[in-house]
Amino acid sequence: MLEPLQFFIVIVIISALSGILGALTGLGGATFLVPIYTLYLGIPIVYASGASLISTIATSSGAASAYIKDRITNIRIGMGLEIATTSGSIVGSLTTAYIYSHNLQFIIYIVFGIVLLSQVFIQISKSKYELPKAVKPDWTTKVFGLYGKYYDTALKMEVEYIGIRWWLGEIIMFFAGFISGLLGIGSGALKVLGMDWAMNLPMKVSTTTSNFMIGVTAATGSSIYWLFGYIQPFLAAGTAIGVLIGAYIGTKILVRITNKAIRYIFTAILVFLGIQMIMRGMGFGF
Amino acid sequence: MDFNDIIGYALRIGVILSAIFIILGIIFLFTFQDSNGFSITQIASPNSIVNSSIFMPYEIPSGLSTLSPLDYIYLGLMILIATPVIRVLLGIIQFAIERNKLYTIITIIVFFNLMFAIFILPILIGK
Repeated sequence: MLEPLQFFIVIVIISALSGILGALTGLGGATFLVPIYTLYLGIPIVYASGASLISTIATSSGAASAYIKDRITNIRIGMGLEIATTSGSIVGSLTTAYIYSHNLQFIIYIVFGIVLLSQVFIQISKSKYELPKAVKPDWTTKVFGLYGKYYDTALKMEVEYIGIRWWLGEIIMFFAGFISGLLGIGSGALKVLGMDWAMNLPMKVSTTTSNFMIGVTAATGSSIYWLFGYIQPFLAAGTAIGVLIGAYIGTKILVRITNKAIRYIFTAILVFLGIQMIMRGMGFGF
Repeated sequence: MDFNDIIGYALRIGVILSAIFIILGIIFLFTFQDSNGFSITQIASPNSIVNSSIFMPYEIPSGLSTLSPLDYIYLGLMILIATPVIRVLLGIIQFAIERNKLYTIITIIVFFNLMFAIFILPILIGK
């Protein structure tokens, strides 16, 4: 067993690496953290999820304070969808509490594995277009004020956009919140899917708004995790610090590289961890 | 100053404050080698018996004056969880200033969900 100081350093390094990977892939650090903690460090999945959920608040709040300056995040759309994510998170966290108290952890491993593998699909089929196709506004566009504009520095133009199908966005967001509470991750990929695919918002708006939402969703889940004793202070402390460092480094690297090869390596890591999580859930080794 | 800037600063201050308390707690923990009656080996093991269920949030302030390491860490984690809550609260004010009735109500519902998870659920579950 590791000495306390060694253990702490290992936690900080692993979460910093996860934070870098998370920032580069846009998946958030938690996606990599929970599998690495449970598969290789012998940390119970309850504590791993608790620490990772807390760490997503750190990255979300840290990044959101920077994004607010750019005025790309659509606070109205984000806040409207938070109704569904926070509700979903409450249901998800309580489901998790039921699962752990009945020793059904294998379900969490399997669901986590499936979520990891489904991320692979989302990573590969990532929309190639920066801007969505023009659509006709529907009744929700007007009622919920689903429009906005931002200045795109890459395209060097002011982008005006409208959102549609608010209700479909809400349904997907409830599910995203549920997964976040269930697994202790930010479930940013699902949130982006809800805004990008269902509501037809530009990619930049979806990702920054999703990042803003993750903090509020995770805060809801964390308080329930806290109540049930899933927050292990030593682990959560090291993880929060590590992920913050990692996310900071990650965003600095991000502006320099957008290499396709790197995306394939990340995808391979996702497949590897996903299969291991499922196998562990089914009772094979590890 | 734009209200958005206030929100941006609030988020940044929350994250920095929480990081300071967490780092202080970790430094104290390695200096004193124990906290709240637990040894550092008990606290720092992967299967640690020390977790949030045995700590009452209202007991934490009294541990700060005695430089109790775990209380510093827990305060840092609580500030981290509180940061998005403050952000939603500022959102209510922002929409109210804009006289956007629908979104003021929507944000109040989000705030209620947070309060439900943090304060009402513990009472309902009886923990």
